[in-house]
Amino acid sequence: MSETPLLRPIPKAPGYLASALRVFDLSVGEMLWSRRTIFMALVVGAPVLISFFMRMLDALGAPIFHVNGTIMTGPAIFGLMIWVFYLRFTVPVLGVFYGTSLIADEVEDKTITYLFTRPIPRGAVLIGKYFAYLACTFFVVLPSVVIVYLAIVPMRGSLGASFLDLLKDLALLAIGLAVYGAVFAFIGARFKRPLLIGLVFVFGWEQAALAFPGYLKKFTVAYYLQAMVPHAMPNDSVVSLIQGIFHETPGLGESLVWLTLILLVFLWLAAVNVDRKEYVLEQ
Amino acid sequence: MSPIHDQSYRHYGGGKAAPGRSWTVIAGAGIKSLIRKRAFMGLLIFAWAPFIVRAVQMYISANYPQAAILNPTAETFRQYLEQQDFFVFVITVYVGAGLIANDRRANALQIYLSKPLMRSEYIAGKLAVLFAFLIAITLVPAMLLLFLKVMFDGNFTFLKTNLFLIPAITIGALLQVTLAAFTMLALSSLSKSARYVGILYVGITFFTSAIYGVLYMITGSSRVSWISIGANVSQVVDVVFRLKPRYTTPWQVSLLVIVALVVVSISVLERRVRGVEVVT
Amino acid sequence: MSTPVVTTEHVSKWYGQVIGLNDVTVSVPPGVTGLLGPNGAGKSTFMKLITGQLRPSKGSVKVLGEPIWRNPHLFFQIGFCPEQDAFYERMTGLEWVRALVRLNGLSDKEADEAATRALTEVGLLEAAHKKIGAYSKGMRQRVKLAQALVHDPQLLILDEPLAGMDPIGRRKTIRLIRDWGRAGKSIIVSSHILHEIESMTSNILLINNGRILAEGDVHQIRDLIDEHPHTVYVRAADPHRLARQFLNDVTGDDVRSLRFEPGAVVVETGKPDVFYARLTEMAAGGEFGEIEEVTSPDDNLQAVFQYLVK
Repeated sequence: MSETPLLRPIPKAPGYLASALRVFDLSVGEMLWSRRTIFMALVVGAPVLISFFMRMLDALGAPIFHVNGTIMTGPAIFGLMIWVFYLRFTVPVLGVFYGTSLIADEVEDKTITYLFTRPIPRGAVLIGKYFAYLACTFFVVLPSVVIVYLAIVPMRGSLGASFLDLLKDLALLAIGLAVYGAVFAFIGARFKRPLLIGLVFVFGWEQAALAFPGYLKKFTVAYYLQAMVPHAMPNDSVVSLIQGIFHETPGLGESLVWLTLILLVFLWLAAVNVDRKEYVLEQ
Repeated sequence: MSPIHDQSYRHYGGGKAAPGRSWTVIAGAGIKSLIRKRAFMGLLIFAWAPFIVRAVQMYISANYPQAAILNPTAETFRQYLEQQDFFVFVITVYVGAGLIANDRRANALQIYLSKPLMRSEYIAGKLAVLFAFLIAITLVPAMLLLFLKVMFDGNFTFLKTNLFLIPAITIGALLQVTLAAFTMLALSSLSKSARYVGILYVGITFFTSAIYGVLYMITGSSRVSWISIGANVSQVVDVVFRLKPRYTTPWQVSLLVIVALVVVSISVLERRVRGVEVVT
Repeated sequence: MSTPVVTTEHVSKWYGQVIGLNDVTVSVPPGVTGLLGPNGAGKSTFMKLITGQLRPSKGSVKVLGEPIWRNPHLFFQIGFCPEQDAFYERMTGLEWVRALVRLNGLSDKEADEAATRALTEVGLLEAAHKKIGAYSKGMRQRVKLAQALVHDPQLLILDEPLAGMDPIGRRKTIRLIRDWGRAGKSIIVSSHILHEIESMTSNILLINNGRILAEGDVHQIRDLIDEHPHTVYVRAADPHRLARQFLNDVTGDDVRSLRFEPGAVVVETGKPDVFYARLTEMAAGGEFGEIEEVTSPDDNLQAVFQYLVK
């Protein structure tokens, strides 16, 4: 029987971040053209269509923007859409949909084996896929916001005057996508039914916690995000009304610090979970 | 007669159920497999928590005159059904997402439909699984509440005054359940991934609500409530319970949207549930 | 004594109440080793344990001298071809193999060259720019092999690499595996098709019901199975005369039974060495007619497997 040949000099393993970036390269194309992204594009396409439709109605002189005797201006409508559609729905829901599926999609498709039998830390696989999620969502959501802005704001408003608000909104939504993505990446890595848990967190826990006075609201992402919104909070439901009563606004610096902390902690927890978990593929 | 018995294959010589009953086999198997899961049973039990609260309310109002403020009215039953919306949603996602998607994933559809089983029976069986659990958390507890009210009162006065509650609860619950079951089953037939189906269902539900929310804020009018799937059900069930509809959309429009959704779902199921892939 | 490429010490793996592997202690030597067992025997569990996808419930698994669990560095030296038919279907074969080898730290240019080499080796260069979704079953198997060997690993672990291939594809892949073995790579191949493993290697690991039945050279294992008589097929000009002599020779209690086939006598012997020695003398003497052929139909993997699994 022959001796084991001397092992060749082993090349230097790519670092953690470099490995993550290579996984990003591999995943971003797949993620961008997956049916999930097509669904997301339809979701963010709806406010674009609505904004064009409203612009058309406004041009035709339809009185639909007269609410309680006052005329809604373009910037006010834009602010409403940012609150009601993007901040309260699109950002957290995309965080849930994508974040909980970062590894689960690969496990379900049984392609996770190829990534876990490469000389890179498993956690780097998760981080790389997280980066791919950020790229996909930024690429789809943020342009949608810009188009809505360009369509809506000129209605009794000024593009230049509201431009700073647009930049703040884009930054806010980007931060929201990043933080929610990290939180749900952890939930997806840790729990068996992450979609339900994620939805209960967003539409149950966060809504309830924001409505109560005291420290509970600090255990939500929405508390810090909402502090950064440049537009007035709308009262579109009983829950919003109650939240408005107990609305406290942390400072911008404090919000950014906490959001960064939440992002880093949950991303680290997610990576640790993926590193230690066994994935038994369906036969 | 030979002492050594024949060990070879023998044809079944017993009785057979009448044709058209195969759906009960599919339904039974689906229900049994879910009942075995402890987490799911926990969820079902938790879904009965509002029933306990309401039952206590009825007991106290019937036995303590000073708690008359808690006296249930017809609206109480309407509110109960509305409270169960959350559990209907969760159980629909939990149970319904994989009903057909898992079969498609395992290529089991071809096996099912190669048996003497009609497509309608297959769909009926799958629907029955979802219906069973959803009815168990809507119609059954609501009727039980009505029964408890009569029991705690010791007379039929409430029932005689509100006799319409029996059909109202039935129709209201069935509307909730039918729309949820058909739409979820149709979505489940579109994919091989139960997770993706769950996401689709959640997305569509919240998306339509969000769109309505935006339009309501902008126009100040609830005439566009027909866009929201949940709002349509609420509108029609309000009418069924003889309450003032909460939106300005005509209830007939809401009912039409619900019917259209069910029809579209049936059409999707008809096209997707096939033993072979039709290539045109 | 060569260093084993894989060693397991009292390894067990269970999934809830189901035992996948039961107290397995084994050393896989360098070279080509066939992992054989029926469906549900524990082959895939063993493969997943030695590729670090699963952690043993009990015991230890070492690959190339180091624990494999949470040790990604070892994958510079290991290439794994999984059983499942799963790919990024939208990518071309070249894109996919290149993207995976980049995870080994290769630059874009190096990755491109390595991927091209690997695809050439498995005969997929012409289809390298086609989407994997358009590949046939055999091509899909080969592109899986390509991603396993693209980084030139010392140890290849192949889980059912011939599944779904047509006979020509099978033959080509078997030849490739033998070539890689001759080139110095260590290869562990799992299969439930005995004659294919036999054509690749004589060094086997037999597994059934989560336990190792036997490991080593198939012929040595066969010899060790004392309680099963060896079957010897002798084609001769006068088989009846030969048979009389087998039975008449009072010194020989090595013949347990015999039967006749057209032009031949088939003997079952419990002492194959003694019997072969006697047969040789008889053939050399020439008094019992010409002996045309002597074979042992059960000195093969199928027989070994059947004896051990029964």
